[in-house]
Amino acid sequence: MATLTLESLGKTYDSGASAVSGINIDVADGEFLVLVGPSGCGKSTLLRMIAGLETVTHGSIRIGPREVNRLEPADRDIAMVFQNYALYPHMSVRENLSYGLRNRRMARAEITRRVEEAARILEIGDFLERKPRALSGGQRQRVAMGRAIVREPSVFLFDEPLSNLDAKLRVTMRGEIRNLQKRLGTTSVYVTHDQLEAMTLADRLVVLRAGKVEQIGTPLEVYQRPASTFVAEFIGSPAMNLLDGVMEHGRLAIGTATMRLPDAHCGPVRVGVRAEDLRAVPGGTQGALPVRLSYVEELGSQRLGHFDCAGARLIAAFPSGQGLSEEMALMADPEALHLFGADGMRLT
Amino acid sequence: MQNKRAIFGAKGLPYLLLAPQLIITAIFFLWPAGQAIWQSFLREDAFGIKTTFVALENYSRLFADPSYLNALKVTVVFALSTAALSMGVALVLALAVDRTLRSARIYSTLLIWPYAVAPAVAGVLWWFMFNPTIGILPYLLKGVGYGWNHALDRGDAMTLVVISAAWKQISYNFLFFVAGLQAIPASLREAAAIDGAGPVRRFWTITLPLLSPTTFFLLVVTIVYTMFDTFGVIDAITEGGPAQSTNILVYKVYQDGFVGLNLGSSAAQSVVLMGIVIVLTVIQFRFVERRVNY
Amino acid sequence: MVENQRWLNVLAHAVLILGVLVVALPVYIALVASTHESGVFLSGVIPMLPGRNMVETYSAVLRGGLSSQMSQPIWLMLGNSMIMAMMIAVGKIVISITSAFAIVYFRFPFRGLAFWMIFITLMLPVEVRILPTYKVIADLGMLNSYAGLSIPLIASATATFLFRQVFLTMPDELVEAARIDGAGPMKFFRDILLPLSRTNIAALFVILFIYGWNQYLWPLLVTTDPSYTTIVAGIKRMTDVADGTPQWNYIMAVAMLAMLPPVAVVVFMQRLFVKGLIETEK
Repeated sequence: MATLTLESLGKTYDSGASAVSGINIDVADGEFLVLVGPSGCGKSTLLRMIAGLETVTHGSIRIGPREVNRLEPADRDIAMVFQNYALYPHMSVRENLSYGLRNRRMARAEITRRVEEAARILEIGDFLERKPRALSGGQRQRVAMGRAIVREPSVFLFDEPLSNLDAKLRVTMRGEIRNLQKRLGTTSVYVTHDQLEAMTLADRLVVLRAGKVEQIGTPLEVYQRPASTFVAEFIGSPAMNLLDGVMEHGRLAIGTATMRLPDAHCGPVRVGVRAEDLRAVPGGTQGALPVRLSYVEELGSQRLGHFDCAGARLIAAFPSGQGLSEEMALMADPEALHLFGADGMRLT
Repeated sequence: MQNKRAIFGAKGLPYLLLAPQLIITAIFFLWPAGQAIWQSFLREDAFGIKTTFVALENYSRLFADPSYLNALKVTVVFALSTAALSMGVALVLALAVDRTLRSARIYSTLLIWPYAVAPAVAGVLWWFMFNPTIGILPYLLKGVGYGWNHALDRGDAMTLVVISAAWKQISYNFLFFVAGLQAIPASLREAAAIDGAGPVRRFWTITLPLLSPTTFFLLVVTIVYTMFDTFGVIDAITEGGPAQSTNILVYKVYQDGFVGLNLGSSAAQSVVLMGIVIVLTVIQFRFVERRVNY
Repeated sequence: MVENQRWLNVLAHAVLILGVLVVALPVYIALVASTHESGVFLSGVIPMLPGRNMVETYSAVLRGGLSSQMSQPIWLMLGNSMIMAMMIAVGKIVISITSAFAIVYFRFPFRGLAFWMIFITLMLPVEVRILPTYKVIADLGMLNSYAGLSIPLIASATATFLFRQVFLTMPDELVEAARIDGAGPMKFFRDILLPLSRTNIAALFVILFIYGWNQYLWPLLVTTDPSYTTIVAGIKRMTDVADGTPQWNYIMAVAMLAMLPPVAVVVFMQRLFVKGLIETEK
């Protein structure tokens, strides 16, 4: 058990290109931290730097009180679960689990104990003697987790471990990973590009963009108060609606609609509003946006209306069964609006 | 060069791992090749006492030498004839095997083993079969009024070395043609059949064009084989004769160097051969790259 | 098949049977010749049917060699061929697999140069550098030795490329997992890379064994001492009897023995052989 501290961490390639920079994150003991972002945002690189698979060019990584920047991966007291599992194809499940322990010259009895224990927790005891190719995708996934567990490390690192599974299995395994981590109480860092996975797993999540931290917070904080238009569009499904507006003397104007907003900013702004915060109102209501319906997505529990709002696209969620017409007016409460500046950063 | 993302950091180890290969390469490949190039600019007098630098004279003499030009011509004839014979036979056999489904494996086994026979041994076998006094084939040929004697007749000699060299190479070409045929999707031939193309027409319009990358690849490989790996065939059957009619370039290097002890000329010939290998290798590699893309 | 035309199938089998027979003919005739007494060959044409002298011929050849032409028994030549073929095959595999490992899994100065040095050997078959290579061997005192027979043929770009290709297709995560599991380079090489390349090694071994066994020109040059003669190089010397009539039955028996080991390898390890052949041409 340990904390993980990243301090002004950065990596610059020989070519001068920067992969990640200025990363400051404190991961508490036992915390489940999720790194999320689109592909190429540097999340995997960051994870691999923690693992010791990529060199660090700036800043420091500490596991507990110990700086590990220059340590070999094996000496950092971490374990990693890979996207493609990286099981040794020629070794049985038992050998796969014990390989790292044997390399550390651990006593045979202790190895057996740990392997049996991990097998019991993950329910893979029945195929300890099989080779990985004789296992299903889900079973391989468990073996990969088992290999991490037996090491009893200070930190678990997960590199998109569920992306090779089908949708249904992914949901199941997500729950299992979450339960397991809570039970073992091991500090974990988990990389994914799937915002839903990030939301459901994380104690805290870190949204990364172009190698920099865009926002750190609990899933709810990030969802409710996105720090930028980037986060606003990335977290939540459907993505947050963004419209152009102008703030002047406490009034917000979006196209022809205007409403009072207790906000001191002046000038052009981006206005964000979640689909579920929009509701249909009679045409001509003060502050309502006139919209034209393009099509409806039925989701069963609710229906999503896709609208055209003076050239911008707008999505609103309604209870199933609510009638939608060609021409409508939509409105949100002032407190449900998110204002972003021209640079995309949140204003209040 | 393709690269691995994950690499090891050890400093001295890679050199240690490469050392055996590089040392052998340097001592037995690069140094002798350099020697050949250097030697090709020198000439020794008849007694091997005095060596003079003669620049490109060895080369100019070489290309003015009728016997060398003859060796060039012989090599071209030998290489192309061997390629045509071995590839033609191999293609016919591969097409036949492609039609037989269940017995294909047995036929393949029975056809590929000559690959393992040494060229020199292949030469001895055919030399025995065509032996003018006791050979079985000259006896049969005599029956139809042809007096076979490869020890005297230039055409007979060339025919015999071509047959021997081709015999050994059929298996290789056969295997690659079979693989090439299997790589052609059955749906293409089926589509052609639906379009009304009969088996023969299908072969010329579908199979052969789609097989052309394999064919070209095998042509290059077979030419390399005939130029450099058939020394044993020539040495066992004709020793370059009669009257230089089967004296291919590689055999001439050996003869001029070891038998004739004409070091400068032999070295110049080696350098020319190196040039030929380099050209063939480049063709092969450029082509293989395209084949991968295809 | 697209359509089931009977005559085409019959033709295919006919062509194949004919092909198999023609391909086998020279070996059959040699085999038959080796089963007769030498006197048979004085009377005209080679017989087409086996004789009854097989056991005598082969045991005489193996034990005593050809008393009139060779001082060495054939089993000694077979032994030499075996030693040379094994040294070449094993040597090539060992030095190629370690160099491929270095080139793929390490970054170091002059890596590109090393790669090109190895690549160039592809363009320098022994046949084009005969004389100077011979001189090097002579200067190093390696004439008439197993080392001289095999080492100059050992450097191999083909095998290095093959292993490089094999290593490149292995997922990066495997090394990373091994590093996290505490395996250093050599441990990774031994525990992961070698076991995973097992079939490639076997396939390559088959090809290289045949290559080594069938060497002709090089053994001819570097072995003047008959006790180092290999069987493939030795057979030619037997046919070179200036005046006398060659002992055909003995020579053909030797030819059969010379081709037996590599042919057996191809026949019994056909799958590996085909794999090796196709992989080395990539």
